[in-house]
Amino acid sequence: MKAFGLTKFVLLCLGLLTIVPLVVNVDDSFFAYYLYVSFCYITLSQGWNIGSAYTGQVSMASHLFFAIGAYTTGLLWVYDVTKSWYYFDPLVMILSGTVAAVAAMLLGIPLLYRLKGDFFAFGTLAAAEIIKTIIRRWASFTGGARGFRLPGEGFASMLPHYLVALLTAFISTLIALIILKSRVGLILRALSEDELSASVRGINTLLFKVIAFGIGAFLIGIGGSLFAYYIFVISPMTVMNLNWMFIPILVCILGGKGTVEGPVVGSFVVGAIYTYIEIFVGPIHPMVSGALLILIMKTMPEGLIGVITKKM
Amino acid sequence: MPKTEIVLFQLLIDGTLYGMMYGLAAIGLSLIFGTMKIVFVAQGTIMVFFAYLCYWLFNLAGLDPYVCLALLIPLSFGMGVGLYLGVFKESALQYDRIGSLLLAVGIMFFMENFMLVMWTPNPRSVVTKYAFHVLEVSGIKLTLVRAVSLLIGFLSIVAINFFLRKTITGIAVRAASEDMETTALMGIKPHKVNLTSFAVGISAAAVAGVNLAVTYSFDPMYGLDLSIKGLIALTLGGMETAYGAFFGGILLGLIETVSAYFIGLGWAQGVCFGVYLLVLLIRPHGIFGKKGRIA
Repeated sequence: MKAFGLTKFVLLCLGLLTIVPLVVNVDDSFFAYYLYVSFCYITLSQGWNIGSAYTGQVSMASHLFFAIGAYTTGLLWVYDVTKSWYYFDPLVMILSGTVAAVAAMLLGIPLLYRLKGDFFAFGTLAAAEIIKTIIRRWASFTGGARGFRLPGEGFASMLPHYLVALLTAFISTLIALIILKSRVGLILRALSEDELSASVRGINTLLFKVIAFGIGAFLIGIGGSLFAYYIFVISPMTVMNLNWMFIPILVCILGGKGTVEGPVVGSFVVGAIYTYIEIFVGPIHPMVSGALLILIMKTMPEGLIGVITKKM
Repeated sequence: MPKTEIVLFQLLIDGTLYGMMYGLAAIGLSLIFGTMKIVFVAQGTIMVFFAYLCYWLFNLAGLDPYVCLALLIPLSFGMGVGLYLGVFKESALQYDRIGSLLLAVGIMFFMENFMLVMWTPNPRSVVTKYAFHVLEVSGIKLTLVRAVSLLIGFLSIVAINFFLRKTITGIAVRAASEDMETTALMGIKPHKVNLTSFAVGISAAAVAGVNLAVTYSFDPMYGLDLSIKGLIALTLGGMETAYGAFFGGILLGLIETVSAYFIGLGWAQGVCFGVYLLVLLIRPHGIFGKKGRIA
């Protein structure tokens, strides 16, 4: 019950952050930018959390689903497919997530069927790199290695970014909570504990692993769509950077994997590392981030949420 | 010799040399992974770090790269001991896989940016006086440094294999990578085994780093690519034997070089990973891996 109270508290805190635009001017506040980055990380890492941490199948293809989300948003806009208003269009964002989820399921069926553990992790990474090569070479459709620009010159305000990112972060945390409390969540946790004994109880392990992988990719794809509206330049460099694979893992482990509130707490910490330390230390900030990471993992291996729940 | 055959042989040699680097990275990784189950993504970065040290010793002290090797191997051994005792000790004993992965990521971030500050992001390479000396056997060309690199690579594999098969510590390392619990019950200290394999793994990185320095150019951010290829090579070959990891690496290098020549440079990466995925789907435990071992 304590943990559930903590989740409610975290959700409440997220909800309270809607007040921030009333207090500070989002357009030129660095704090608001920091919060925006953290919200993006929350969406991503909830996705990774559902797809990998709940089931115990470490996926190293987050950057693939992120890129699929961003590319879908970009291509829908550039080729004018859905004939809607595109900028933060919920239809486009949901489509981006859906394409990522379908890709994840198509990829997940053979991979999850054959591979386990580290072999699965590197298999997903290899799949992501193959698709990266295809995106790079298929220049007539995806713009190749240089990518393409979105026609978004008129949109300068940070406020919609902030609010939409907050909303997706909130919804993804809610989805994670609902899944964890549902029967599916129970099955997923059983899978991560002992796959063999779960399958003996008549659970179709492959089905549920693929479903979790798909839902995770859906959230990561929406995160990619969100980031596409911010960066406006869609290229393998910007959206298929290996950073997008490391960040969700980093956030989940730092916050506490397999919990709903862990990624939220972790996102604010990692967001601070990536934004504020860069300001204070300058371009060598990953050096500090690296040292900080080692320090955090040495002192609290269960993640921040483990420390908090222990104190309670 | 006919021209096409010369090209083929040339590709074969280049691919083997390229794969040698992945193979050396994979061997270090297999030692570290085998006993401690650490996915050590910093291996490539450490290789690049030693390449820079070699570059430094060459430019500042005028030392020949192969003399550097004699200096760098003990240094890397010490560094491995330091890293293990300072960073990985607890997580290795608990088999904290993801925790240790993040520790490795931390080391990677730190070292990459340390190198960026120390040596700038410009690509460097060690150009010795004999760097352009070419050996030619019936039309197949091979520079002297590449030939020496091939030799050093093979020698280090043989040395590591000798260590693993013939010395008591090596046998303990192999036993521990099979089953750490039983090994501990036999009176072998897990700590000692972990420490040794970590230090030997980092030494392999030093050898690979010197090879990298004399044959290719390198920059601080090149390390992650090497680590990933090394890990892929490790899983491709199978995690059981040092030879498996090494041949996985060579195979990867060959695939990359041959596909870069016949299909196109831009596709090489994709083909390489595609073949890897295909092999993995057919043999989920790698080419030389045994079934039943869960990694």
